[in-house]
Amino acid sequence: MGSNFSMLMDGFQIAFTPTNLMFGLLGTFLGTLVGVLPGIGPALAIGLLLPITLTVNPTSALIMFAAVFYGAMYGGSTTSILLNTPGESGSVITALEGNKMAKAGRAGAALATAAFGSFVAGTIATLLLAFGAPAMAELALTIQPAGYLALIILAFATVGTLLGTSRIRGLVALSVGLVIGLIGADLQSGALRLTFGNLNAIDGIETVTVIVAIFALGEALYLASRHQLQVATVLTINGRAWMTRSDFKRSWKPWLRGTAIGFPLGVIPAGGSEVPTFLSYGVEKALAKNKDEFGKGAIEGVAGPEAANNANAAGVLVPMLALGLPTSATAAVVLVAFQSFNIQPGPMLFQTNPEIVWGLIASLFIGNFLLLVLNLPLIRFWVMLLKIPRQYLYAGITTFALLGAYALNNSTFDLQVALAIGVIGFLFRRFGVPITPLIIGVILGPLAELYFKRALQISQGDWNILIAGGFPKVIYVILILVIIGPLVWNLKKKFAVDK
Amino acid sequence: MTLLKISKQAKRELAFAGSLFLLGVFVAWDTSKMQIPQGNSIVSPQTFPYMVAAFTSLVALGLIFNLLRGNHGTPDGDSPGDPFTPLNLKTMLIVASAIILHVILLEIAGYVVAAALCFWGVAYGFGSRKYLKDAGISVVFAVIVYFAFSKGLNINLPSGFFEGILANG
Repeated sequence: MGSNFSMLMDGFQIAFTPTNLMFGLLGTFLGTLVGVLPGIGPALAIGLLLPITLTVNPTSALIMFAAVFYGAMYGGSTTSILLNTPGESGSVITALEGNKMAKAGRAGAALATAAFGSFVAGTIATLLLAFGAPAMAELALTIQPAGYLALIILAFATVGTLLGTSRIRGLVALSVGLVIGLIGADLQSGALRLTFGNLNAIDGIETVTVIVAIFALGEALYLASRHQLQVATVLTINGRAWMTRSDFKRSWKPWLRGTAIGFPLGVIPAGGSEVPTFLSYGVEKALAKNKDEFGKGAIEGVAGPEAANNANAAGVLVPMLALGLPTSATAAVVLVAFQSFNIQPGPMLFQTNPEIVWGLIASLFIGNFLLLVLNLPLIRFWVMLLKIPRQYLYAGITTFALLGAYALNNSTFDLQVALAIGVIGFLFRRFGVPITPLIIGVILGPLAELYFKRALQISQGDWNILIAGGFPKVIYVILILVIIGPLVWNLKKKFAVDK
Repeated sequence: MTLLKISKQAKRELAFAGSLFLLGVFVAWDTSKMQIPQGNSIVSPQTFPYMVAAFTSLVALGLIFNLLRGNHGTPDGDSPGDPFTPLNLKTMLIVASAIILHVILLEIAGYVVAAALCFWGVAYGFGSRKYLKDAGISVVFAVIVYFAFSKGLNINLPSGFFEGILANG
């Protein structure tokens, strides 16, 4: 612990150089800017900004990403509250109460409790991350390939079945992601899969292309197909974005409870920010003295879920950094950012690249602070962004997404892939299939195969190794309890009703 | 059971699920045709793809079963039970064409032309009818992005027609 603290201080020293501080500031600004734009969540925001870092040194670029990461989430809550169009699943709940508050003329208080809640949750969660991730990495060093495979399968199962309303559709999304992940040369044997003789496909499909295309192009095609262009009304803020003493009194406990719910659910792969924000909302509603205020704009219903959302996002970084396993779309993009500098997150990261990882963690603190300082005073500027006419907004997002897909390798092939993925994104939205499991499949599928092969190599082809040892067994038992338990429960209830 | 009354949306959704099943079959076929380079690896490069193929077909069957029982997907942004928003193919195809145009034109005509046309096309697809104003915005957007990336970030974008003008400008 002591050495972690000094490492963190070293991280602050790295982050506090003028250049890196400037990149952090730029990141908070750009992150909020892109996050505020309706329809753009943190994952797409970072994906769109990825090309910007292609020419910057790794430390500065990742510091900028950390800032974009939190910035996009701050921006997203502003949009949810004022426009009622959440950019991502984590802000859905915020929109529920926040938009009602804004309609009742309490937009300022809603924005303030969201900003302070995000700051409190972000700071606590980053602190937990700073000490939790190295500890987890140390434990992870002892995990065998079979154990890793078990963890990935658990992540598949939770992300696939807990997101959205339909289990089978989550698994459908996962399977398509796994197929996309197969494309290209097999890492070990060099055998070609699903390349159709196309030389460009040998290196596989870029994850960023998938993320940017499925979110940006898929969304543009989908909205065009529905042709819903009625302009949403941006609610105005009366007075300053600030909260009264009584608002504060009602908010601080939900902030802390939200953090306590959000962080652990991010660390274990519980399927994105949907579950923790829902849970936090449920807890606040259950504990509230004036329950009838919920649904009409209760500040607790903004404070809790917003804190849960931010703490959850920081929690997701723990397995991402310590195990190299992203369990949300946003974490997947951050992982790609690391990989674009040939840095592989995982148990060794804290030893091989301490300056980068501690610089990153330190900048999460700094970015979080900068956001609190920048966000509320600049609120009127962000609100202006909400008034960009829809046609130009989607024209801009589409064009920029195509640029991002192209700039990665300067290849037209990537653009063709982006188009195809965009069509998949459209179909998924049309038929109610969630997007995130696909991304998790694309990024974790090849990793699952790698660990699968490693495990069998160790055992000389004996499949029993996959469930040998304590760790994989524990994971599979959890898997059975988490996934199959509720299924059996539902069936039982059904039969009981049928009788 | 709503088996007898299958709506248009349900038919499309069934076709979607069916093509996912075929995707699984296709992956299995592609895997069976895989040329395996010499070398003695313990795990064949075919094992994992076969597993993915089986999984894909299996969940697609699950989806088909689910659909036949009348459980339809809820389009993004709708609530379960909402009436289906009819598909506006025309506007969607305009936006799709704008994207395709960008893909085709980028390396032929250069970034500024491709991006400006794409921007204009998507705006048109989204219902904008201020042709001249849109054209102005499109060009300004494309030129700013081009310079920000090629000059500011040293990311090369195809300059196309304007090679002489923009590159030395």
